[in-house]
Amino acid sequence: MANSGKTKVLYGLYGDDEILLSAISEANKRHLDIMDVFTPFPVHGLDPLLGLEESRLHIAGFIYGALGTLTAFLGMSWIFTRDWPIIFGGKPYWSVPAFIPITFELTVLFASIGMVVTFYTICGLRPGVTNPTLDDRISDDKFCVAFDTTNSSEAEIDELKGYFSATGVEEVNTKWL
Amino acid sequence: MNQFIFESKHKTVTVGMMLVGVLCLILSYIMEPAALTAAGADGVVHNTHARFWTNFLHNSVFFTGISFISFFVITASVTAYAGWYVAFKRLWEAMGSFMIVGMVLLLVVAAANWLHINHLYHWAGDIEGDRILEGKSAFLNNYWYTFGTLIIIGIWYFFWRKMRSISLDEDENGTTAYEHHKTTRKWSAAFMPIAGFTSAAMIWQWVMSVDGHWYSTMFAWYSTASWFVSAISLTILLMIWLKSKGYYSEIHDEHMHDLGKFLFAFSIFWTYLWFSQYMLIWYANNGEETIYFRNRQDNFPILFYGNLIMNFALPFLILLRNDTKRKYGTLIFVSVLCLFGHWWDYFQMIKPGVMHTAQEYVNHAAGAAHEGGHHAAGFVSGFTLPGLIELGVFVGFLGLFFYVVLATLSKAALVPKNDPYLEESFHHHIGYGGGSEVHH
Repeated sequence: MANSGKTKVLYGLYGDDEILLSAISEANKRHLDIMDVFTPFPVHGLDPLLGLEESRLHIAGFIYGALGTLTAFLGMSWIFTRDWPIIFGGKPYWSVPAFIPITFELTVLFASIGMVVTFYTICGLRPGVTNPTLDDRISDDKFCVAFDTTNSSEAEIDELKGYFSATGVEEVNTKWL
Repeated sequence: MNQFIFESKHKTVTVGMMLVGVLCLILSYIMEPAALTAAGADGVVHNTHARFWTNFLHNSVFFTGISFISFFVITASVTAYAGWYVAFKRLWEAMGSFMIVGMVLLLVVAAANWLHINHLYHWAGDIEGDRILEGKSAFLNNYWYTFGTLIIIGIWYFFWRKMRSISLDEDENGTTAYEHHKTTRKWSAAFMPIAGFTSAAMIWQWVMSVDGHWYSTMFAWYSTASWFVSAISLTILLMIWLKSKGYYSEIHDEHMHDLGKFLFAFSIFWTYLWFSQYMLIWYANNGEETIYFRNRQDNFPILFYGNLIMNFALPFLILLRNDTKRKYGTLIFVSVLCLFGHWWDYFQMIKPGVMHTAQEYVNHAAGAAHEGGHHAAGFVSGFTLPGLIELGVFVGFLGLFFYVVLATLSKAALVPKNDPYLEESFHHHIGYGGGSEVHH
């Protein structure tokens, strides 16, 4: 089969973010199972409507940051008191104020790189990944609501099409991803 | 309810707080710590009343600064084309009105400088033979102090009056041509550089010069950041109180979240400046400069380290999460902590320096041997740590501040009209998903 392993997507394009939000409220009322929503910019109020939970990425970020703090502070403490003690400007070996800027920098570095790597891993982004898009205009001026209709019956697809036309959609298409 | 009513109940409470303050000021005048008095050979006890004058100066500067910053935030927001704050800009306008009271309070200090009855500033006394203070005498003198206070706060207040009158007139006569707002932009942009330079000059005069031999180029920024955090703390506390009374229903969690972010960000900014000042002085290791921190770390350790815990560690860890900036409980806790913490910060800026000046003065006046340098004096009540009297004075000034702010607040509608950013402010939304707040 040509389309084995692929997903058959039925999607509608809307012209305005306010219409999109009311369309999603309507989908929730009709208990339709939205696969995903694509917008050219972050739409305020979309996440709660879709029931998306708050990302836990920042918790990971805090842990990475704390690791950076410890790495820098304990690392410098060990280097400058045990491994290779040098006197700088008559200061004690263990000069905490001098360690603070580097501790800060490594905290930021660990947190930012750690979060980027985690985010890319979760999203499955890596070099060479091709990213199929439903429609190029969803990165320009169209707001897209997509349904997975791979295993849907004709009646179910008609119901979805009825929903689209009832909520002010501009066009409805099907695409295999 | 768009009109705040300054009820007699509010007046009773704030006047009661002021009476506590007056009582504690009198007590601090009478109860000078023994370590700061000295009996001369003729039996006369010399006393500079340093506890009273430091309490007076400390709170006057603290609340004048909060008032100044509240107005400064409006001008900065107008210049930045910010819209989110417009629905409650009357609160910041009201907080700014305290500046004129602050000017009177600081002129009392200036008058006492002329009369040589406060001994807050070493430079205001006899500086003959003191080459450092002689070198600074072109700036550190009574003329600069008095006319600086008068003219500079006068300029701030003039700008405040101007912006306030435009804001009130906009309610009545504002049109969709937004002429009022355009005029406001010019006044705001003009005020910001003036505010930046003049506030630095007056912080050097009022606060930094209590350690007359010492100076730091970071000081003005650092102490202004302290004012900033205090002003945001008081804004949050006043806002939550007003909301609890049914006012400002237009202000919702999104606005509180942004105020919380300001509190968080400026706590970190304060820490950055505090550390930059400390680090540069520590690294250069120049005895004239390090004595400032040496004295505080050795003789005022609770003040010194408590400052960092209250104003950095706790607000940083508590406000790091999104939800703590939206929940009133955590906002109130951190705001009270930061307000007290930065009051504590000004306490440690002022008290150690004046204590040293007062000790030198009374010993000299009593004819005791001039000891020179800083010496450990053990625990000195009202100086080593804030005592109940200091807290009482704080409460008194807080009462005065609230009285003036609430009186001004009651004179105009709480939510302005005809501001071009008003709608944006009502619909302010920062895109926080809200975790468990799932709507279906």
